[in-house]
Amino acid sequence: MVRALATVRGVALVGLRPREVRVEASSSPGLPGLRLVGLPDAAVRESGERVRTAVQRQGLHWPAERLVINLAPADLPKVGTAFDLPLAIAVLAATGQVPLEAARATWACGELGLDGSVRAIDEQLPIAAGARELGADRLLVPAAGAGDAAHVPGLEIVPVADLAEVAALLRGTWTAPLPVPTVTAKAPPPPDLADVRGQALARRAVEIAAAGGHHVLLSGPPGCGKTMLAQRLHGLLPDLRPEEALEVAAVHSLAGERRADDPMPRRPPLRAPHQVVSAAALVGGGSGIPRPGELSLANRGVLLLDELLELPRPVLDALRQPLERGEVVLTRTRARVTYPASVLLVAATNPCPCGHLGNPLRSCTCRPDRIERYRARLSGPLLDRLDIQVSLRPLARAELLDARPGEATSSVARRVAGARAHAAGRWGGQLVNRDATAAQVRRTTDQRAVRNLATVLAGGGDSARAFDRVLRVARTIADLADQEVVGSEHLEEALAYRLPPVAVTA
Amino acid sequence: MSGVRLDRLTEVLVPIAAPGTDPEMLASLLAWAVRPRRTLESLRRLMRDTGAEDPVSSARWRLHIETQLREDDVRAAMPLVVPWRARGCRLAMVGDPAYPDRVADGWPDSDAPILLAMAGALPPDGPAVAIVGSRRATSYGSGVAAWLAGAASAAGVRVVSGGAIGVDAAAHRGAVGGPGGTTVVLGCGHDVDYPRPHARAGGLFDEVRAHGGTILSEQLPFAPPRAGVVRARNRIVAALADVTVVVEGGTRSGALLTASAAIERGRPVLAVPGDVRAPGSAAPHRLLAEGAAPCTGPDDLLDALGSSAPAAAPEVDGVGDRGGLPTPLFAVLAAAWPRAIPMGQIADDSGMATGAALAALTRAQVAGVVVERPDGLVLRRSPSRTTSPT
Repeated sequence: MVRALATVRGVALVGLRPREVRVEASSSPGLPGLRLVGLPDAAVRESGERVRTAVQRQGLHWPAERLVINLAPADLPKVGTAFDLPLAIAVLAATGQVPLEAARATWACGELGLDGSVRAIDEQLPIAAGARELGADRLLVPAAGAGDAAHVPGLEIVPVADLAEVAALLRGTWTAPLPVPTVTAKAPPPPDLADVRGQALARRAVEIAAAGGHHVLLSGPPGCGKTMLAQRLHGLLPDLRPEEALEVAAVHSLAGERRADDPMPRRPPLRAPHQVVSAAALVGGGSGIPRPGELSLANRGVLLLDELLELPRPVLDALRQPLERGEVVLTRTRARVTYPASVLLVAATNPCPCGHLGNPLRSCTCRPDRIERYRARLSGPLLDRLDIQVSLRPLARAELLDARPGEATSSVARRVAGARAHAAGRWGGQLVNRDATAAQVRRTTDQRAVRNLATVLAGGGDSARAFDRVLRVARTIADLADQEVVGSEHLEEALAYRLPPVAVTA
Repeated sequence: MSGVRLDRLTEVLVPIAAPGTDPEMLASLLAWAVRPRRTLESLRRLMRDTGAEDPVSSARWRLHIETQLREDDVRAAMPLVVPWRARGCRLAMVGDPAYPDRVADGWPDSDAPILLAMAGALPPDGPAVAIVGSRRATSYGSGVAAWLAGAASAAGVRVVSGGAIGVDAAAHRGAVGGPGGTTVVLGCGHDVDYPRPHARAGGLFDEVRAHGGTILSEQLPFAPPRAGVVRARNRIVAALADVTVVVEGGTRSGALLTASAAIERGRPVLAVPGDVRAPGSAAPHRLLAEGAAPCTGPDDLLDALGSSAPAAAPEVDGVGDRGGLPTPLFAVLAAAWPRAIPMGQIADDSGMATGAALAALTRAQVAGVVVERPDGLVLRRSPSRTTSPT
């Protein structure tokens, strides 16, 4: 005798990319037992025991028959505890306790407790977003943390607290309450730019970087305020838009950095990994399906790398491609995963091994050839991605005490928002000037000024990338001045944002 | 008499022997020098011991050497000729007409090198000044060295230094284009690329040769820049110059060796005062304490040269040229001159809008009014119309 085959749908995540998983259950006469097939990992394999106990404890019936459950497609590895709930529903449907039709139309995720309660999982948000992407219009999620999934637009979220509720829901005898979307985090006021005394050059650089999304290299002796400036730069960035917040939260959930009942982020992330970070921790990695690294956790925000030149060479090289493409591609034997990595990189470094080159208060004890070797570690291609390069100077104590407070973050942030609006209007979407190509920028630049720039740079032996870098920064400077066309004064200022030479050349 | 044949070695040495230098004597000297545990230094002692007071006709020491030479030595000396010839060197032995008189002065009781390999033009006899100092030069040190060297060279005075990075390089660069020219004394052999940034194609040494300057070394072509050898060449720097100026240096700086070599030869030593807090001021300040004359500008230098110096030429072109620099920026740069000042500080101190200040500074750099240094920007020329900084 052949019984009906029950199907329920779940979502497996390969990185952030969702794959539909059909949970098929079939019950037939034979020795009582449960067989789980379809590349389950350890957590999924144990799922059988949890589901059986949970079903029985909820007063539902567990068949004294042979049960086979298949997770299709069978070649896709399944990890985690999110399949407990679809598995339980499939069993209930296969044994006739809930209608087969209702089960077939159901997408579900969630972990089961032995008492039959449905428990929240960290990946609820990316699974909900994935289900929507796969065409689901309704998703059963654990009641705890359902408010998180409710942020996904166009998807009906059904919060369920235990298996009895699930059974009643599918039989049509119970209606779930509407989920309440979690609140967006209240951000404390960011560290204020007004705290930075003097340092007009650095303040200006930070403003331009925030407006154009340009990567920044801050070079200066220890204690001159590099980290302080990076925090202020972060404070100048606009709040995340809802879809950006969703993307940020999804990546953080996936990395296990965020619980399902945590509030939705409002501010862009600021990540500052320690300088002994490994390449894997920075770009992402791990066995099986690689997990997102710091680059992706800083997506849509700021990645602060202190002591850039102390980072090992492989780590520096690993940075290049993600910075160029705004995403990280990790290839493993089992999977090829893409994570977003649209970051604003703030790199800080000492100007020389001893740190005092250019410090008027202390003399540098490094020989020029050692400085040259130190500087050479910043490979050309990486250096050329750092659009704005500023050399900071330490302030004398008198300057620190005397200087008037600088312009406050709130007023600079208004200019930044204005410039970002100009860029978005020009390039379309939400693009910033960092994303613009040189050709695009050149079309909005005064032609005579471009020719002059070419002459100046050709004399200095700079690369074509350096040319593009200056153009992009000049575009942002013009945007901050509400100018449609990039003029020579903007190019001239942009040229100033690069590090001084290592040795005396004239 | 061992009967070693020096003919072939002599033959290849003919084109690289300086005018007036005997190739056959050169051949026996080189064959001696390549023997294991033999150096030019030990030969110098040997020559003194065998009583070769008159090196031009020292048949006795030649005989002495040749009795000890073997065929192997002569063969081993052959490869030395190739790099010397490739670099256009000419060789002269102490006492030869092409060997600088100032260096040979006092031979054989002085420590003059026996052999000099000279690339570029042979050093002329005119007035010369040694400008030496630390490799770890500050912007101030490099700036002053270049300033003094520029003025000396403009006045027809040759500038001698050790070819190292830092102060030496600034002195050579300051002098290289002028009528006085410059002489580099290497701390290694001609075929060793050291210091690399200067020895590479198109580097400082190429520039010196192209402008009629001289690069000389007392070492065999492959000699590496060992510390002792590098320090020993300082005596040649001092010997080549009428006056020695120490610009910057720490307590153990090689510049102090140059100064004591100059004092031994009874030549004046000047020292440039520096920042009393800076470690790089230790050497000049110690010399000042010991009685060296202070050098506060090209006038002091030319005065010390005395009658041997031609009249000082006034500093020319572009003095005080603002090159379109806005007044507040010019004022900040002029106040700091000849020190470089970080761009950030110029922006702060000028009180101008940051963007406008940066754009103006870029324009001034393109126009050549302002020069960029590792530690900031500096006016190319003295902001006042005199030759000394205000």
